[in-house]
Amino acid sequence: MSFLHINNIRKHFGETTVLKGIDIAIEQGDFLVLVGPSGCGKSTLLNMIAGLDSISDGELLLNGRRINEVHPAQRDIAMVFQSYALYPSMTVAGNIGFGLEMRKVPKHERREAIERVAKMLQIENLLDRKPGQLSGGQRQRVAMGRALVREPQLFLFDEPLSNLDAKLRVDMRTEIKQLHQRLGATIVYVTHDQIEAMTLATRIAVMRAGELQQLGTPQQVYDDPGNLFVAGFMGSPSMNLLNARIVMVDDEPVARIAAGEGTLELPIVRDREALRGWQDREVIIGLRPEAITDPASANRQDGVIHETSLTVSLVEPTGADVYAVTHLGGRDINARMRPGTQLSPGEQTRFAFDVSRMVAFDPQSEERIR
Amino acid sequence: MSTAPPTARAGVLSRAILYAILAVFAIAYLMPLYVMLTTSFKTLDEIHQGNMLALPDNWTIQPWLEAWGSACIGLECNGVHGYFFNSIRIVVPAVLISGLLGAFNGYVLTKWRFRGHRIVFGLILFSCFIPFQIILLPMARVLGILNIANSVTGLVLVHIVYGIGFTTLFFRNYYETFPNELIRAAQLDGAGFFTIFFRILLPASTPIIVVTIIWQFTNVWNDFLFGVSFASGDSAPITVALNNLVNSSTGVKAYNVNMAAAMVAAVPTLIVYILAGKYFLRGLMSGSVKG
Amino acid sequence: MPNSPSPQGGGARARMQRWLPKLVLSPSFVLILFFVYGFILWTTYISFSNSGMLPDYSWAGLRQWSRLWNSWTWGIALHNIWIFGLLYIVSCIVLGLLLAILLDQRIRAEGALRTIYLYPMALSFIVTGTAWQWFLNPGLGLEKTMHELGWQSFSFNWLIDSGMAIYTIVIAAVWQATGFIMAMFLAGLRGIDGEMIKAAQIDGAPAWKIYLRIIIPQLRPVFLSAVVVLAHLAIKSFDLIVAMTGGGPGNSTAVPATFMYSYAFSRNEMGIAAASAVFMLAVIAALIIPYLYSELRESRS
Repeated sequence: MSFLHINNIRKHFGETTVLKGIDIAIEQGDFLVLVGPSGCGKSTLLNMIAGLDSISDGELLLNGRRINEVHPAQRDIAMVFQSYALYPSMTVAGNIGFGLEMRKVPKHERREAIERVAKMLQIENLLDRKPGQLSGGQRQRVAMGRALVREPQLFLFDEPLSNLDAKLRVDMRTEIKQLHQRLGATIVYVTHDQIEAMTLATRIAVMRAGELQQLGTPQQVYDDPGNLFVAGFMGSPSMNLLNARIVMVDDEPVARIAAGEGTLELPIVRDREALRGWQDREVIIGLRPEAITDPASANRQDGVIHETSLTVSLVEPTGADVYAVTHLGGRDINARMRPGTQLSPGEQTRFAFDVSRMVAFDPQSEERIR
Repeated sequence: MSTAPPTARAGVLSRAILYAILAVFAIAYLMPLYVMLTTSFKTLDEIHQGNMLALPDNWTIQPWLEAWGSACIGLECNGVHGYFFNSIRIVVPAVLISGLLGAFNGYVLTKWRFRGHRIVFGLILFSCFIPFQIILLPMARVLGILNIANSVTGLVLVHIVYGIGFTTLFFRNYYETFPNELIRAAQLDGAGFFTIFFRILLPASTPIIVVTIIWQFTNVWNDFLFGVSFASGDSAPITVALNNLVNSSTGVKAYNVNMAAAMVAAVPTLIVYILAGKYFLRGLMSGSVKG
Repeated sequence: MPNSPSPQGGGARARMQRWLPKLVLSPSFVLILFFVYGFILWTTYISFSNSGMLPDYSWAGLRQWSRLWNSWTWGIALHNIWIFGLLYIVSCIVLGLLLAILLDQRIRAEGALRTIYLYPMALSFIVTGTAWQWFLNPGLGLEKTMHELGWQSFSFNWLIDSGMAIYTIVIAAVWQATGFIMAMFLAGLRGIDGEMIKAAQIDGAPAWKIYLRIIIPQLRPVFLSAVVVLAHLAIKSFDLIVAMTGGGPGNSTAVPATFMYSYAFSRNEMGIAAASAVFMLAVIAALIIPYLYSELRESRS
């Protein structure tokens, strides 16, 4: 029995269907991140878990109990909102304690709980302030404090970091992760930021247009994308996707890719049996930028390296890495080179392809071939 | 911030002309008030002999006392004070009740929307703009049927009904700017409809409450049409009494008393305007353009 | 997506919570339906009935309407509202825009001046009328003052001149509302993107050209709002005319609002009064409904 079970949930607004049957189950202590582009239905799903949107069809089980019809206040969940939604006329202490007050918790217990949470979030000195006097990061903490103080079975986060500036966002991300590890809380977290999803989640659910694309650990979603959408959406810079043709060389499948005047042939290592059936057909292959490197950075221990010379068309140093852009298979592809690599556009250089990390997709259905 | 292009070193002369024009307009705008005020402190003799623009030679508060306590309006010679208190007795309940209804309406129409909420708001809003001539005849009859014709109570009802449109507009536009997440957060915290309103929204509504009170106060205090149509004699508001005093054709015209009475009618709204002009303007603006 | 939270859950409390909002809104809505829309229907019906001093629900077709249209006073009232409305709207907008632009030149005493220009808006029309009636009084007011200042030939007796009295009302009405229109334009001016003006200056445009070609065209929504607000005020104007001229001399300053009032309450001609009120409503509705519709639509997106 899983702790939170989203069982074939659907949502219609009039004629339009925004969720087309979502199935997700997570265990106690899991950190589930719902990620996807805007309009994919992730926030609607979160609101349905909270009880703020009605469930058109399907079943929602929390700790074995069906909660479809339970009022939001009685679901034993707490939520942190994108706009923080702090009560403007109440002090920080009033904001944090409001939920307890509504539940008729005696005043002294309330104060103890507020102080405990404030200490945990390091906002003890702000308890008498009004939300209008707080910075963005402080508001964020108060919003989390309001959720934490209730000690609910389940925490919901709706894009909580999207209103913070870049630096603060990274700091708060770390803090949320530490909080999760310390409390062992179960969390459902919505974001459109795939880096946030990768760093925070124990389970990621990638969604698009009301459908679940893939559910798995961050590593699974990253290394084993279930379809083209997930491959393109997760990871930054995103996965290189190029057109290739499967041909047989010595009775083994290889991916033949147009490279300048000639062709490049990359041996197939993963999903080899499935790809035999694709002989003489077009596929799309995916390779992460870090799987295309300069020969010296190649991971020869775990990977299967295939080297070739290609012309560099653009060089983008980022400090930590240097990305080289080259043309392959009809697309621009990104390769991650060793920092300090000296390259200039137009130059020919050696690239090392780790073909053990190469995945292939059906161009029509966009599904993974495996 | 000014949008004016900062003309590099605008000539001293052109600045002087600019200030002169503005000053002339300021004088023109203040003139009627000045004349009204000085006239109210002059004796009738001085008015007939002297210059309208001159300050009084002999300051006298007699016209004010007369206007307040003994000027004849119709057949009664008790001054305007009774009508002044009528206006207060009309304004206070009318403002409070229409304001409260408007606050509730604004809350429901933004945070608890239902199918058709736009039509409901449109119907309420349009009531702000109707020429009230369209309701004079039936209202006179209904007040008669309810037995509150020619009474302060009747005028309170009238002002509540036709105030709802503006108060609803104000609160709706204000609550529109509150994130809906606020309501959702409160629901998760276990608060219900009224708790959310009284504990969360209303305490954060001070600016719009001030705007609404000032707007309604000014409108109701300055009303003449409803007063003259539905309240005659003892229950008339100050504006009606003032008009009766000034435009009665009997006897010698006591201009100083008229002006003093006009000042009595003007002082409450002028005080509100001077103390809270910012909010007064905000009401005017949101009454004409949204937001 | 729906904007409103729709909490789920059963139980009497939850059901109650779902009904409460409508329950709370309903008193106002019922009041408005009855006292506004019910009354509009009633008055409209009366305009097609034989009602005189008392309501008479027998159908009279267009009888009251043709009596209205053949009424000499109604003709004057329509003529006056045209003159008054047009002059009032144009003067208020011209003066209001002028004052707003002048005030927008980094004026030191802007706050105080704004307060002075706007205060008449806080006054009752009856007070305004009383003050201006006195100020323009031919015997003792402005005219006499000018004579005493040595300008013997100065003559200003419009208030009692039936051909000119309507213009005195325009003066008083403009005095009252200009400050408000100025405030609207000032808000509009302050809302204009400053970078665009800087760009125009870099392009070498002189100040007056920047106003004419860039700033004023951007104030179009304010012009629209000002016209609608002023037209609406003009059609409803009643108090000021009663206080200043009482509709006179004769009927020379009658407008539809005073016409309706006198037919309803002094002449006991309910049918004609109702017809004139319906006409006023129709004009205002034709003006306001498209405006409200566009305003509400904008705020939707």
